[in-house]
Amino acid sequence: MKEKKLKLVAHKKKQYKRFTRSKAANFMFVTILLVFGLFMVLPLIYSIVTSFKPLDELLAFPPKFFVTRPTLHNYTVLPSLLDNLQVPFSRYAFNSLFISVAITVGHVLIAGMAAFTLSNCKHKFISTVFWAVQVALLFNGYTLGIPQYLIFSKLGMIDTYWVYILPALQSTTGVFLMKQYMDVSVPRALMEAALLDGAGYYRIFWTLVMPLVKPAWLTLSLFAFRDAWAMQPGGTIFAESLKTLPVAMNQIAASGIARSGSVMAATVLLMIPPILVYLVSQSNVMETMSSAGMKD
Amino acid sequence: MKRGLKDFTRKKQMYGRMFILPWEIGFILFFLQPLVQSLVFVFSKVNVDFENGVFLTEWNGIENIRYFLYEDTQYVDYLVESLTSFVLNIPLIVSLSLIVGVLLNQKFKGRVMFRSIFFLPVIIATGVVMTYLTGDATAESMRGGTGAGNGIDISGILMSMNLTSNITSKVIGFVNQIFDLFWDCGVQIVLFISGLQSIPEQLYEVCRVEGANKWEEFWYVTFPMLSGTTLLVIVFTAIEIFTDSNNSVMTYGFNAMRQNMWWQGPTILWIYFALVGVILGLAVLIIQKKIFAKWAQ
Repeated sequence: MKEKKLKLVAHKKKQYKRFTRSKAANFMFVTILLVFGLFMVLPLIYSIVTSFKPLDELLAFPPKFFVTRPTLHNYTVLPSLLDNLQVPFSRYAFNSLFISVAITVGHVLIAGMAAFTLSNCKHKFISTVFWAVQVALLFNGYTLGIPQYLIFSKLGMIDTYWVYILPALQSTTGVFLMKQYMDVSVPRALMEAALLDGAGYYRIFWTLVMPLVKPAWLTLSLFAFRDAWAMQPGGTIFAESLKTLPVAMNQIAASGIARSGSVMAATVLLMIPPILVYLVSQSNVMETMSSAGMKD
Repeated sequence: MKRGLKDFTRKKQMYGRMFILPWEIGFILFFLQPLVQSLVFVFSKVNVDFENGVFLTEWNGIENIRYFLYEDTQYVDYLVESLTSFVLNIPLIVSLSLIVGVLLNQKFKGRVMFRSIFFLPVIIATGVVMTYLTGDATAESMRGGTGAGNGIDISGILMSMNLTSNITSKVIGFVNQIFDLFWDCGVQIVLFISGLQSIPEQLYEVCRVEGANKWEEFWYVTFPMLSGTTLLVIVFTAIEIFTDSNNSVMTYGFNAMRQNMWWQGPTILWIYFALVGVILGLAVLIIQKKIFAKWAQ
């Protein structure tokens, strides 16, 4: 199927001729894109540049956009800053990484399984559930803060990793995206054939459906990882040894304006993991998003 | 035969249930139940029994809602502010991402790179990173006089481009807004691009044969064909703005919750939710019935 698609694209490319766009229009086109693109990356570039600025340039007034004497000082000073934290830095890093990976894997699995049912059952109850999923997209977690705390305390989960992981696992965005993508990309005939050949539902799920919806779960991992990576403990975590990287960063930032360079350096470092995940899943994002718009 | 079929359906149902169960438990436990509970808080007097750690709720009718709408000094202002930005920002974001989407759908060198750039904010613009990137840097630099606060400092960028402070201050407000707008566009642009790619090429061919120019092509083919996508983008943007924890109502509600004001927090957020739900529903209905139906003719 993919080959067919590729051929189609190649065919289109050959067919396409830019006979309507004049030179002036071309120029306009590139300029607009560049200006818009600049808006997108300017803050990013600025933060990277700033992280290499020495202290006197950081505090210069009026501030300079580009660094004149770049230094690695902001980065090299990070370890000693981190020594002053209440818990070893590696602990924060481990917490963040562990939570993010656990959430990403768990969420993809759970959402995938739920979507499998939602996409294949035509029961009345199931359509009600899907309706609930769509409504649930509207809610921000804040609304649920206090009652969630109650549940955690009843389950004895306060001050454990569960507090981070459990609420994130059932995120409805994932179920919605997966279901929409499954509807489009898993042919019913294929599943029926597998059933006839004696494959069980588990086998179908693992060897047929999941590989077919790979773009969807890669996209999902990206979003799940992104959200989990930025997660900060609310009122449910009290032990410092269970807190995440953002908390460590807030501590660095609390040491005042003289440390703003290091804060920038830490920000830049914190941005790297999500970007890495993005690079892995990048080509699949577009494909998944296109199925989100299809009506069920 | 009949029995066998029954068994088969039952087996199928069992598997269906099994697959959805883990998610369902989580959904009920950490979403539905808390949601209902917070709705109960809205309509009741809440007291805490600290010894047993239980909430005692007592039916209070719409007293809580009345309090916030008529007696609270700030809430209505926040509500109006949030809803205005809601109404103002949606058309801006949607049209901006439509323009960028159309541009990025053209064939040119470096297209993949540009697409990645426009999607970048979606990936990095969350949580702490975002706080330090945009933060209150501008406000801080105004107060403190130093241009280099924590994070991105737009006035800093402008001044370093040799603009006078007079122009800078005028531009800042506008530019701040623009940065926010652009950084909110990532997913919408992707949605528009995928919508654009599903428009059949033949329609454009017909346009060329009939001698339509690019402008007409856009208004008579691209835009009507994108109506479904546009609606999706509008709803998505609305949800994004609504659930954004930085808008004033959200902050107000969140602060209330942090100070353990048991019924205030949920009430603040539920009134907001109900209003936004009504507005969104009406908007979708009107758009579907009036505007797009016209195009379809």
